[in-house]
Amino acid sequence: MEKFKIKRRTFLKSSTLAGTGFAIGIAFEPLKSFAAKSETSVTATKGADLGLWIRISSDGTITLIAPSSEMGQGVNTALSMIIAEEMEADWQSIKTETTPANSDYKNPEQPLQITGASSSIKGFWEPLREVGAAAREMLKTSAAQIWEVPASQCNAHSGKIIHQKSGREFSFGELAEAAGKLDIPSDPPLKSPVDYKLVGRSIPRLDLPDKVTGSAKFGIDVRISGMLFATVRQSPIFEGEVLSYDETAAKEVRGVKAVVRVPNGIAVVADNTWRAKKGMEALNPKFHGGKTAGEPSNAGLDSLQVRQQLRSALDVEGKTEIDSKHSAAGLPFLDLEYEVPFLAHATLEPMNCTAHVQNDFCEIWVPTQNQEKSLDVVKEITDLDNDQIRINTTLLGGGFGRRLETDFVTQAVTISKLLQKPVQVIWMREEDMQHDYYRPASMSRFQISLGPDGFPQNWKNQLAGPSILKRYFAPLGWLGFDPTSTEGAEELPYSIPDFDFDYSLVDPGVPVGFWRSVGSSHNAFYTESALDEAAHAANQDPYEYRRKLLINEPRFRKVLEKVAEDANWERSLPDGHGLGIALHKSFGSIVGTVLEISTNSSGLLKLHKAWITIDCGKVVNPDTVRAQMEGGFIFGLSAALGEEISLKDGQVEQSNFHDYAILRMQGVPDIYVSIIENQALDDDEIGGVGEPAVPLAAPVLANAIFAVTGKRYRYLPLSKHAIKLG
Amino acid sequence: MQTLKINGIQHQLDVENEMPLLWVLRDELGLTGTKFGCGIGQCGACTVQVNGQVVRSCSFPVIAAVGADIKTIEGLSSDGSHPVQQAWLEEQVPQCGYCQSGQIMAVDGLLKDIPKPSDEEIEQKITNLCRCGTYVRIRRGIRRSAELIQEKGN
Repeated sequence: MEKFKIKRRTFLKSSTLAGTGFAIGIAFEPLKSFAAKSETSVTATKGADLGLWIRISSDGTITLIAPSSEMGQGVNTALSMIIAEEMEADWQSIKTETTPANSDYKNPEQPLQITGASSSIKGFWEPLREVGAAAREMLKTSAAQIWEVPASQCNAHSGKIIHQKSGREFSFGELAEAAGKLDIPSDPPLKSPVDYKLVGRSIPRLDLPDKVTGSAKFGIDVRISGMLFATVRQSPIFEGEVLSYDETAAKEVRGVKAVVRVPNGIAVVADNTWRAKKGMEALNPKFHGGKTAGEPSNAGLDSLQVRQQLRSALDVEGKTEIDSKHSAAGLPFLDLEYEVPFLAHATLEPMNCTAHVQNDFCEIWVPTQNQEKSLDVVKEITDLDNDQIRINTTLLGGGFGRRLETDFVTQAVTISKLLQKPVQVIWMREEDMQHDYYRPASMSRFQISLGPDGFPQNWKNQLAGPSILKRYFAPLGWLGFDPTSTEGAEELPYSIPDFDFDYSLVDPGVPVGFWRSVGSSHNAFYTESALDEAAHAANQDPYEYRRKLLINEPRFRKVLEKVAEDANWERSLPDGHGLGIALHKSFGSIVGTVLEISTNSSGLLKLHKAWITIDCGKVVNPDTVRAQMEGGFIFGLSAALGEEISLKDGQVEQSNFHDYAILRMQGVPDIYVSIIENQALDDDEIGGVGEPAVPLAAPVLANAIFAVTGKRYRYLPLSKHAIKLG
Repeated sequence: MQTLKINGIQHQLDVENEMPLLWVLRDELGLTGTKFGCGIGQCGACTVQVNGQVVRSCSFPVIAAVGADIKTIEGLSSDGSHPVQQAWLEEQVPQCGYCQSGQIMAVDGLLKDIPKPSDEEIEQKITNLCRCGTYVRIRRGIRRSAELIQEKGN
């Protein structure tokens, strides 16, 4: 890992909030190749606090800039804990703000300034410790200079610098101005983990008090004087064009101010969201054409065609020879086909963005995972420069990858530019459901031969599906590979002598995107189900089978053994009960899970309890890790049980929560989480926690159902097999 | 003209009778704690109480709320001291938090009707969606809320 160089950029300024406060600004240089660019953007930027990480006001309030978007994963708290730990700040005085758009805040793990891939702690662990440590050293030095004593006699403790010999002390607030004038130390000493007071403890989240009083501000809560509200309608067939609409009727609706064409659709602007919606109903836009449209002889893309395209891609690849070879030898051979559907993100806060474009300045407020692309969109539409644009990231009412996209930013900025007024675009749920960037549908085929010992000798896995990278980086074209599709299947921890994996690109024309846990969201279902099938074909216990195959992977083995121990895998179960097990690594973290289920006499399924064990390397906030394991697992369960985006006549069939079935509280199992700390690991082996529990839910559920019923379900959602919770 | 009593305060309005209460709260009165999720009463993000009854305000015309006592998340307590809010913090329930105003208003309504709900009653009555999957903690939060309300009452 490249060593981060700390340098001073802006060292002292009045606090924009308090007016009387002062700030210490420290910016690190994440990647040398970006240095020139970030230097320019900072010096040229109008918002004077860009480039700052820490602001100390004279009343002692410390504001830390969290470089990631807060979308529920608790990242603002965790990142603040890292800075505050090294700084020796008083946690009670900490406030946090979400990053502006500026490449100085780019996660070193990512190519853009985005929040994604469960990488915030991994990317910022080292740099933020250095930021905190540098601030602490500067505060110490400034106190030492005032007292005219050696800095080595001064200690930082709980928001104060203390001179041990004399007992004198200054609060950080009192020292901020003097400290801000000092040079930033190039190599500040970092604390030893044994001295940690915050990191490793379950600190209550900073964002939750506002989230229980309704005062937390999400994107749709932005209110600007004189603002208008807009809603959009886009072609139900992907990339179709507006054909006709009744503007007169729309403008007769009370409060409707304007009808505006936006890329791929049309907007109605009113003085109230509901009136914009009524206006849209009156406008009644019609569309034509589009990527998935039909022709006279063909009704347009449907789910059956997608399925045929996926299967054809697998068939072109063809089956291997291992089939005949092994049946000749009389050894077990498995030939399996698995499949998953498109899925929607369905963040509970629908897509939205508020924009205010003026002649020489544009400000937007947006719940986004992608500040950089939002900035690019504004620049492209307005022709303004970086220093004339401000991107404000609000809290996100869920992200899950959907808010890496900027289609809604384009719309808000387009409308505001035309009207020269602040405009909030809010999508109705129907638009949100039908114009997502969906988790790709895919199909996976396995040919697995077992050796005389029952373990896989040959493992041939073919995956077919759309490529997210091809769509997201369209200008680059098809690169010939796509880790976002193949992750979690192209490499397994199990010792298999002959392992082969292939991926075939299929593009039915449905826009696909990053959906929480991305490739692993389907590949874990495929590989962990297939391995379970192999264990049963070999008449072996699925836990012991996995354990023996992990002979060369002690980290995986430890996670598996821990979760089996927590669940008491060996115990005898009541009639009708069964246990499933699954293990998967994604985003640098290994997660193992056991699920206990039962079926009753009418065939209804009950999920009793899930045990989850994670090894994510270092742990900043254990309760946040537990929360992400619980939430991620339930997110995965929801998809496995009932979520499906299907297509008919070239468009998505689902439109709202009545036909896109998200799991409610009823039937959610109890969840017990164990965390294996692995402090010895290198910093670059830190894993994420926001996504890695999601992939486990589908395979552990399918494996548990097999354990109870003897039935193996190879395509999702389970509702397609009449599996219901009861 | 409509007169609405929200969190104990009278508001004069001139809006369409069929405008859902949700949009009156959010866009006309600036009470943004109540959220929009689906517009068809499916998700519960817009849950408020009208005369103590739990309603989904996205599908509740404002005319039906005239003359009633309307309570929103902003009226539960100004400082987060309400037992359900306290329980939510103790159990660290919210993740993104977007659904939680609605969850809290629904739970407050449930506990007024049934101070000690059974597991079945909880699952039947609290049907609000949480996309982050905080359900395990919501269940714990409801149990804890019931305890806190009982302690407060005694």
